[in-house]
Amino acid sequence: MKLQIQGVGKEFAVRGADRPFTALDDVNLDVRAGEFLTLVGPSGCGKSTLLDLLAGLAVPSRGSILLDGTLVEGPGLDRGVVFQQYALFPWRTALSNVEFGLEAKAVPKRERAERARTYLELVGLSGFEERYPHELSGGMRQRVAIARSLAFDPDVLLMDEPFAALDAQTRESLQEELLRIWQRTGKTVVFITHGIDEAVYLGQRVAVMTSRPGRIKRVLDIDFDSREGDLRADARFGEYRHEVWTLLRDEVAAASEVVPVG
Amino acid sequence: MASVSVTTSQVLAREALQEASRTAGTAPGLLTRLLRGTARAAVAVGRRTAAIVALAAIWEVLPRLDVVDPTFLPPLSQVLVAWWDLLLSGELLDHTQASLVRSLAGCALAIVAAIPLGLLIGWYRPVADFLNPLLELFRNTAALAILPVFVLILGLGETSKVSIILYACAWPILLNTIAAVRGVDPLLVKSARSMGLRPFRLFQKVILPAAVPTIFTGIRLAGAYSILVLVAAEMVGAKAGLGYLINYAQFNFRVPEMYAGILTISVLGLLLNLLLVRLERRFSTWRVSR
Ligand SMILES: Nc1ncnc2c1ncn2[C@@H]1O[C@H](COP(=O)(O)OP(=O)(O)OP(=O)(O)O)[C@@H](O)[C@H]1O
Ligand SMILES: [Mg+2]
Repeated sequence: MKLQIQGVGKEFAVRGADRPFTALDDVNLDVRAGEFLTLVGPSGCGKSTLLDLLAGLAVPSRGSILLDGTLVEGPGLDRGVVFQQYALFPWRTALSNVEFGLEAKAVPKRERAERARTYLELVGLSGFEERYPHELSGGMRQRVAIARSLAFDPDVLLMDEPFAALDAQTRESLQEELLRIWQRTGKTVVFITHGIDEAVYLGQRVAVMTSRPGRIKRVLDIDFDSREGDLRADARFGEYRHEVWTLLRDEVAAASEVVPVG
Repeated sequence: MASVSVTTSQVLAREALQEASRTAGTAPGLLTRLLRGTARAAVAVGRRTAAIVALAAIWEVLPRLDVVDPTFLPPLSQVLVAWWDLLLSGELLDHTQASLVRSLAGCALAIVAAIPLGLLIGWYRPVADFLNPLLELFRNTAALAILPVFVLILGLGETSKVSIILYACAWPILLNTIAAVRGVDPLLVKSARSMGLRPFRLFQKVILPAAVPTIFTGIRLAGAYSILVLVAAEMVGAKAGLGYLINYAQFNFRVPEMYAGILTISVLGLLLNLLLVRLERRFSTWRVSR
């Protein structure tokens, strides 16, 4: 097991209320080494909160999170986070953004630039090294963010709705690229999404969360005979999709909030 | 017959004109484009300076027509002559230099003192919360109101003059620096933290670069203040400086020289601001079109 989430709960103190707000309640989930796991759930169920806990950016109120069997006590370069809003440093060029994690890892200067270049190439951005984030499109920015997280070579990639802000075409091409990179690098990926299609298309397993307070409702195995060709046209794709949709429907009704489908 | 030939030539002329305009319309020659570009630039410059030219004209004409008393407001040409004489005598240069040294010294000291202080206050939230009421109080106390206090404590010499400029310049820098640190996008901090950055590196690699443009806005404001306060500071007990020149000229009823001093200080302020705006832009190129 790469990641073990054991009985994890998270509460937030709410201003003006005497009782804390429970965002996560008794979450149990194991993530295998090298696995691509997608996490879906109604808006506000605590997906981002869970990701923060995995990243070590916040501390669980209850339970424990183990990475390779050791307790997660803070952030570290063994995990890379990709945020929905890219979170690139606007005063740094694409190349220099990718170098950021390498600086944190104290990689020698010459090697830094070389490695950053390699990873920008991996995400299809060679030739854009000297561009600033504001000179890149949304899709390109997210590619830089992915390259930045890959460059310092973390074992686990934690992604919080990374493609949500992109148009359908860009999203699909980035999904394919992510799968290609994942297959090539063998990293463990935890990928949060609103999209049922995206969850089924990307995940080897799809974890469905309940509405507030968040718990893991079911974990579905997605088994395609092969990942070649157009998965979305596969009959099994529709079945999986429907299954996730049915699981989510009740939760969305409970949360009385809308989850966009697709 | 004559009338016929006239109409024919008119028709021919009209056709030639149409032909010319057609060729110009489809493929404007280099020369026409060049002319048009120059004309447009001239219009742009004209539009920008029109108000100033108008003011200069009014300044010249009204005193000459005795609409205003030329003893108190001499025509611009007389002021410019006085300015030229001051320049030739070397007096103007001395005063300008004295003023600039004070302004720059006060401003530089303010930068050196206020930026680290602002970074500290902005970074440690409890410090900011503790000091905030005090900052609000002092910020709303005009520097000139405190000038007598400075003179009382520090005397009439350079120290009190530089100090008052320092004081006036420190506020915009301090407040902008605090705001800059506190205004850093929390997502960027989170992103850097996720890569294991400890507080000191975080400050150095994220907070500081993110804050630079806003800090520079503070420096630009301080530059303007340093000139504004200068005149007042130099009106008490100075022996040189543009403020002294203005005050001295007024006292001795050398009215054109007084206006020459005022003009010089305006232009000085304008140039300093221009320089700082340039500098500010250079330091925040990444902030454009966001
Ligand atoms: N710092 C915080 N303080 C108080 N409440 C918080 C905090 N962070 C999150 N919450 C609450 O916890 C709940 C879960 O938030 P979270 O951001 O994890 O949801 P999410 O599943 O990621 O939603 P979405 O799909 O819309 O991104 C929400 O109700 C939110 O209001
Ligand atoms: Mg979220």
